[in-house]
Amino acid sequence: MSQAATASEGHPSLYSATGVASNKLGMWVFLASEVMFFTGLLAAYIVLRMGHPAWPGSEGHLSVPMGTLNTFVLICSSMTIVMALAALHDGKIGVVRRWLLATVGLGSLFLVIKGIEYSAKFSHHIFPSSSIFWSCYFTLTGFHALHVLGGIIFNLWVWQLTFKTAVWERRSHFLELAGLYWHFVDIVWIFLFPLLYLL
Amino acid sequence: MTQMTTASSSRTYLVIWCWLAGLMLLSVVLSALPIAKATVVLLVLLLSTVKALLVALYYMHLKIDRRLLAFVAVFPLVLISLATLLVLSSYLVRL
Repeated sequence: MSQAATASEGHPSLYSATGVASNKLGMWVFLASEVMFFTGLLAAYIVLRMGHPAWPGSEGHLSVPMGTLNTFVLICSSMTIVMALAALHDGKIGVVRRWLLATVGLGSLFLVIKGIEYSAKFSHHIFPSSSIFWSCYFTLTGFHALHVLGGIIFNLWVWQLTFKTAVWERRSHFLELAGLYWHFVDIVWIFLFPLLYLL
Repeated sequence: MTQMTTASSSRTYLVIWCWLAGLMLLSVVLSALPIAKATVVLLVLLLSTVKALLVALYYMHLKIDRRLLAFVAVFPLVLISLATLLVLSSYLVRL
């Protein structure tokens, strides 16, 4: 059986008629709706941008080093949460906790860096209402940051579950669901970073 | 799952992490090079797609999971692509 499938091992009642664990299928359907949400925003951004040859203009400067650092932080966090899943299959609960905390820490670092970027913009009197570019920037990164925050809370919830032995035996598959959500947040940033900072 | 399989998975995860970091740096370097904007846009978005595929296939396990999940993941992309093409077509008509 595949590694992904084994995350729900021991929970046969969770499997749907499709052969996929119901909770996992539910998470993927949820992520599909999230894909449509973010792609809609990105498509609007691309269409607006194509209509403005000088986009974003001289006032639309973003720090590439800060954006690159944040991208690296999220890439690292995707690795740490998948390592937590590997440790779960190894039965090393202590290692699972450490990788999960690392993921939470990296997610928090991402938000701190994003907060520094936001405060720099605000101190230069740049707000969402300043121009269409900044309106797009704050909307896209703001919604993404909210998803990162949601992921951090989800990961912390899974982390505290690991201390409740009886509950964890029945609920360890939540780690895989938290991982799927976290990777999705990473993928969204993989597209946001070049579109906003590089191109 | 055996210890060996888990160790092998961990090694794969680290290799993918290296690829993701490397492709990210390549995108940053490409965007700073004095080459045609259209070429940069194409290459950087292509690299982003490769990175997203690596995450989906290896970290989200779509490579080894059931095809149904891949279908669930791809279906909204098809829908949104059609919608975007529709919007873009109106832009292109105005050119």
